[in-house]
Amino acid sequence: MKIDYKIEPPVVEGRLSLSQIEELVAKPLETRPDKKFFIAIGISGTALLIGIICVAITLHYGIGMWGNNQPVGWGFGIVNFVFWVGIGHAGTLISAILFLLRQKWRTGIARFAEAMTIFAVICAGLFPILHTGRPWLGGYLFPYPNQHGLWINFTSPLIWDVFAVSTYFTVSLVFWYIGLIPDFASLRERTASKVKKIIYSIFSLGWRHSNRNWLHYEKAYLLLAGFATPLVLSVHTIVSFDFAVSIMPGWHTTIFPPYFVAGAIFSGFAMVVTVLIFVRKIFNLEHIITLNHFDKMNKVIMATGMMVGYAYAMEFFIAWYSGNPFEQFVIINRAFGPYAWAYWIMVTCNVVFPQLFWIKKFRRSIPVMLAIAILVNVGMWFERFVITVTSLHRDYLPSSWGYFTPTLYDIGILVGSFGLFFTLVILFTKTLPVVSISEVKAVAGGAQPSHHGGNH
Amino acid sequence: MNNRKKEKAELSENNNLQPHYWRSLAELHNDPNFKEASRHEFLEGVTNDFHPSQLPSFSRRKFLALLGASAALAAAGCSDYHDKGEIVPYTSKPEEILPGKANYYASSARDGSGILIKTREGRPIKVDGNSDHPVNRGKVSAQVQADILNLYDSSRIKNPLKRRAGNAFTETSWKDVDNEIIKELSNAGGKEIAIITKRIISPATKKVLDGFAQKYPGSKVYSYELFSNVIRNKAWQKCYSSSQYPLIKWDEAKIIISLDADFLGTDGDRIENSRLFAIGRDVKNLNKFNRLYTIEGNMSITGMNSDYRIRLRPDAQLELIMGIINELGYGANSVKLNDVIRKYSLPGKTISLLLDDVRKNKGKAIFYAGRTLPESIHIAVNYLNEKIGAVYLYRTDAANVELIPLSDDSDWQQLIDKMNNSRVAATIHFDSNPVYHLPKDLGYENALLKVSTVISLTETENESSVKANYTLPINHPFEAWGDVKIRTGFYSLQQPVIAPIFNTRQKEAVLLTWLSGNPDSYNDSLYHQYLRNHWQNEIYPTISSVLDFKQFWYGALHDGIVLSKDKPIQHGSINSDILKSKQPEETSTDRFIISLRESYNVGDGQFAGNGWLQELPHPVSKITWDNYAALSAVSAERIGVKNDDLIEINIDGRKLELPIFIQPGAADDTITIELGFGRKSAGVVGTEVGFNANVLLSKNDGISKWIYSASSVQKVKGRYNLVTAQEHHAFDNELLKDIAQNRGIIREGTVEQYKKNPRFLHEKEKHELHSFYTTFEYTGVKWGMAIDLNKCLGCGDCIIACGSENNIPVVGKDQVAKGREMHWLRIDRYYSGSPEEPVVSNQPMLCQHCDQAPCENVCPVTATTHSPDGLNQMVYNRCVGTRYCSNNCPYKVRRFNFFNFRDHFKSGYQEDSLFSLIYNPEVTVRSRGVMEKCTFCIQRIAEARQEAINENRSLKGSDVKTACQDACPTNAIVFGDMNDKESELTKFRNHELGYYLLEETNSRPNVTYIAKLRNTHPEKA
Repeated sequence: MKIDYKIEPPVVEGRLSLSQIEELVAKPLETRPDKKFFIAIGISGTALLIGIICVAITLHYGIGMWGNNQPVGWGFGIVNFVFWVGIGHAGTLISAILFLLRQKWRTGIARFAEAMTIFAVICAGLFPILHTGRPWLGGYLFPYPNQHGLWINFTSPLIWDVFAVSTYFTVSLVFWYIGLIPDFASLRERTASKVKKIIYSIFSLGWRHSNRNWLHYEKAYLLLAGFATPLVLSVHTIVSFDFAVSIMPGWHTTIFPPYFVAGAIFSGFAMVVTVLIFVRKIFNLEHIITLNHFDKMNKVIMATGMMVGYAYAMEFFIAWYSGNPFEQFVIINRAFGPYAWAYWIMVTCNVVFPQLFWIKKFRRSIPVMLAIAILVNVGMWFERFVITVTSLHRDYLPSSWGYFTPTLYDIGILVGSFGLFFTLVILFTKTLPVVSISEVKAVAGGAQPSHHGGNH
Repeated sequence: MNNRKKEKAELSENNNLQPHYWRSLAELHNDPNFKEASRHEFLEGVTNDFHPSQLPSFSRRKFLALLGASAALAAAGCSDYHDKGEIVPYTSKPEEILPGKANYYASSARDGSGILIKTREGRPIKVDGNSDHPVNRGKVSAQVQADILNLYDSSRIKNPLKRRAGNAFTETSWKDVDNEIIKELSNAGGKEIAIITKRIISPATKKVLDGFAQKYPGSKVYSYELFSNVIRNKAWQKCYSSSQYPLIKWDEAKIIISLDADFLGTDGDRIENSRLFAIGRDVKNLNKFNRLYTIEGNMSITGMNSDYRIRLRPDAQLELIMGIINELGYGANSVKLNDVIRKYSLPGKTISLLLDDVRKNKGKAIFYAGRTLPESIHIAVNYLNEKIGAVYLYRTDAANVELIPLSDDSDWQQLIDKMNNSRVAATIHFDSNPVYHLPKDLGYENALLKVSTVISLTETENESSVKANYTLPINHPFEAWGDVKIRTGFYSLQQPVIAPIFNTRQKEAVLLTWLSGNPDSYNDSLYHQYLRNHWQNEIYPTISSVLDFKQFWYGALHDGIVLSKDKPIQHGSINSDILKSKQPEETSTDRFIISLRESYNVGDGQFAGNGWLQELPHPVSKITWDNYAALSAVSAERIGVKNDDLIEINIDGRKLELPIFIQPGAADDTITIELGFGRKSAGVVGTEVGFNANVLLSKNDGISKWIYSASSVQKVKGRYNLVTAQEHHAFDNELLKDIAQNRGIIREGTVEQYKKNPRFLHEKEKHELHSFYTTFEYTGVKWGMAIDLNKCLGCGDCIIACGSENNIPVVGKDQVAKGREMHWLRIDRYYSGSPEEPVVSNQPMLCQHCDQAPCENVCPVTATTHSPDGLNQMVYNRCVGTRYCSNNCPYKVRRFNFFNFRDHFKSGYQEDSLFSLIYNPEVTVRSRGVMEKCTFCIQRIAEARQEAINENRSLKGSDVKTACQDACPTNAIVFGDMNDKESELTKFRNHELGYYLLEETNSRPNVTYIAKLRNTHPEKA
């Protein structure tokens, strides 16, 4: 396993021909679901059902079913929201930023990562509504003209959130769909089923693989990539404002925007790695989603992990340097107070374990990276928990301090959100090409004319 | 063709004159119809009245009308709107009722305090103090305020109940009951009829009982109180041969030494004592500042407010007082103060300061022993007070009155013997609960089985009524007539403010019916007439009134009190040999002392069914919905228990299991338990709340009636979850030690410090904070509040007043455990110093109505806004419930409706239709999912503003009093207009001792705290 990093490794391995690539990617869509599929969807569907039941009970009785209290007004609801928004970050980063940076290796994983973005944002988007006391009045958060003359409060970061997340979702969806158009056309050509043909025809928008089509497509894709890129940074920046704009010690911190974005990419990549390991195995995509891909993603994980670690260290430093006793207390209380267990889970999972990726062997070992990626996801969930709960539970007045204990409903809804995410992912693998056929073809050996002929 | 030509011709013709615009071809052709129609702005029919039936069948408007109507029908048909029936206006309107305007009626509460009952449209909704009342002067305790909840308690008995075979109670009619009981009573023969009552404070009631005794010669009245002044009075009698321990001039005392006497809490008339005590805590009159030494076994309200506090087990206090007597040179025996100090490792320096103060302040220093302490201490204290001239602090203008002396131990023993020998024909529980209150070893409960007729007159089911044959529902005090005599110098009156809600009768009227021997003699005004006659014949003549009786009577009812001339009080002189040959017994320190105290909140248990009081945090421990064994950390270690562990207390075979709570400042080897809990039958709310420590009482006194030496105290298996409204923090943790002081939340000083440098508090102030936003100019009235921490004793009366005024729900123990209590106002209690000798600071905490409120800019839907008069407002209808405002509130005073708490608590007990009568109609009842908080009683501001407009004058700050301000017995809360330079509030706001909380957040609060001054000696002991 000696790899010479001076030579760029081929993006697609195994010398696959263009038709083989198409065959490989389209296969799951053209075969009937097997037993494994039903087992998988059974598990994720059960989790989803648990979540639905817990949500229904919460809607019926009130937020009191959760563990939230005074002073911890935000609990699992907001933790899950930030967690899922974070997961959604890898997709756009891979598809937009890496596209602009001409990273050819992104083609194998971009489609999947984008799909995960959409699903994660769907999961995330549910929580801000569910966590309110009166979700049926969620419409009040939108600026609509009304005879009462009521208007929203533009100084509230929650309003910025509404716009940031909905914009992000819309742009991601459009970006994803634009990328899918040539593949829909290919599928339309391949399928023998009449129903499928109609559906693919509609979604391919009359794509003919003509030069003009490609010209427009490339331009639109480039523009959207340019449009989506700032969103990658803005969404989590704004999510971080939910905390940073407040006056709570532990929240009121200028480091939050970059820290949140790094954390989001960190957790997003970890989730992509976790899921792709299985997808690659199940659908025999080893040649398209190669170990080189994982190697690169693991490097990103390690890099962002260290950024997050730097932020942790910086919080301590700034707390000391600012001379603000409230800030100092919150940071020390985080690490050594009643929630120290959560803090140290976070530090271990996010800072310590990713260091294993310094070793090339681990970067390229499926079991190791799976374990680390899952730990990173656990750690990043706890990071949000630590930020949200530990800052609130002991704030200014010691008289109002409290302790937050999640209830079964909190946990049920968390499980349910994973259920929703994985149900959507599983359905996605059987309905749409998990890898962009057209893009992979474009970077496969021999696809592009080259002066030294063939494969580089 | 021709036409066209003509058209063109016309056009060209007109063109010459002016441009011709045409709206349709018909106009162009000058159709006369069109010409006519174009004169009207609207189409024909459009301006007609709208009648869907007249519309053509498929017109757009008809469709919309039908659509709207059917949607409205569907909505109305599916909604859960209860048809409350037609609203009928008065045919003849009662003169005094004006819808929307509250009426206040003077009356008296259960404990005799003078009250004003606020009624709206005929229903009482709030209880305030009657400012004319000489004792409570416009303030009333939490219990009296919360009594309104008992009025609307759905657990009240609604009809007379009779026990049938199979032990079940069935409803019956008053007439049947009266008939049967009159027969039973008449057949009593030579047997006794025992009437068991609590302390009688009404002269008219006493007369009824006397009359009853005449009619039924076998009848005898037994009265009791769970806690009373019997020991204190008996000691007084021995010393001075006069009947009653005098009242104290707390306001004139410079040095007060309290020996286990919680005179600011449960001992004596708290409201009056607090008011008088607080006069000596006025920062504007430093020369009057008093100094309070407390020597006590457990931290009490008095202990929290003391300048010096000495922990000492109650049974050892006699030794200390003897030592002090000897040290001061009034020697009576051989006890050496230094030995006592050494034996109990007391702070010698504090005691020598105490002695110094007593020596220097003769005539202005007083020792005061708690009512639960044994007689010997009271005698010693009386003796010492006489010697140090404290007799000048005994009041001569007024004294307590005892209409019927409480029965003593031998009376009770005789009763039990008679009952056991079947010599008692009937027992009448006259609004009393002896099964719960009397010592278990008296055997009352078993003796009751030998009595054939047991009658309980009670409002709600209790432990005694469930053992009775007849349970007869009686009126709540707010439905009742009566008079009260608790003090010399005045009478007070009680009048009903609502007709009996259920089929209940006034308890005196029930007896009157029985003594008439004829059930038909009852009518609704039976006792009213009786009371009136009683006054006309017996009280009116003694009061030299210039008015005729009718005028006098209405005037008396209006005022609630009638001043009377009573004999001047003379205390007599002390038997100076009283202490001779008194040698205190050696205290055995190896046994635990069990000290039983009255509950701050539920009294002797009669308020156990009151959710407001159960949820009111204990003033010291902040525990709600429970009682517990309070002990020191050292004692806990000795038993091997931690907080929430269960212990078993055994006093000569009387056993009780209950959880412990480590109370900072408790004396070692002393276990303090509050009574009034553990009721077995106390309605939906009060049943099985806490632990019944009455079982530890004995007919044979221990160290005293309420203090016992435990045979054993040991840990038992299991734990119990005690729930506090304020988290407890470890003292030994460096991070948390003195945290409130370190953070500048509690800022205190000493009187000396303040005298030397009035601005000492602001010495270390940092630079001014600037704001990002432009500051709003408040031109009119700007509301603000000042809270004088010197006067706040931490009693919690304001919390109940706030809850009653603002419709705050009871959430229940499980929700308090989660930290979801709804009180808009709380009293924060901070300990500093060491766990053994903590210093306590209290701080009422409510919405600070910050000028730059952090809650306001984070609300996404602008549901919380700022008013031009400086209020931070909450718009419930707009609130979505993101809780961001609460997160961002540095004071954490916002409260979120996590559930519809009225529905959630005790299966919707607060949603009972009766319960809704209690609500203040001026305040929205909040439902689930909405944030709420203190509004500075905005409804009162609105009312005052309306009145000012009506009277064509501008609103003044003094026009408004908030509910908490109204209730505060020490007037620690001042509310008003800070733009009014002359107002009392402004004076406080600009006071040198004033400070704002968490100023560094630049929230600019409008609540000023006046820093507490401790009256300690310059060099702290």
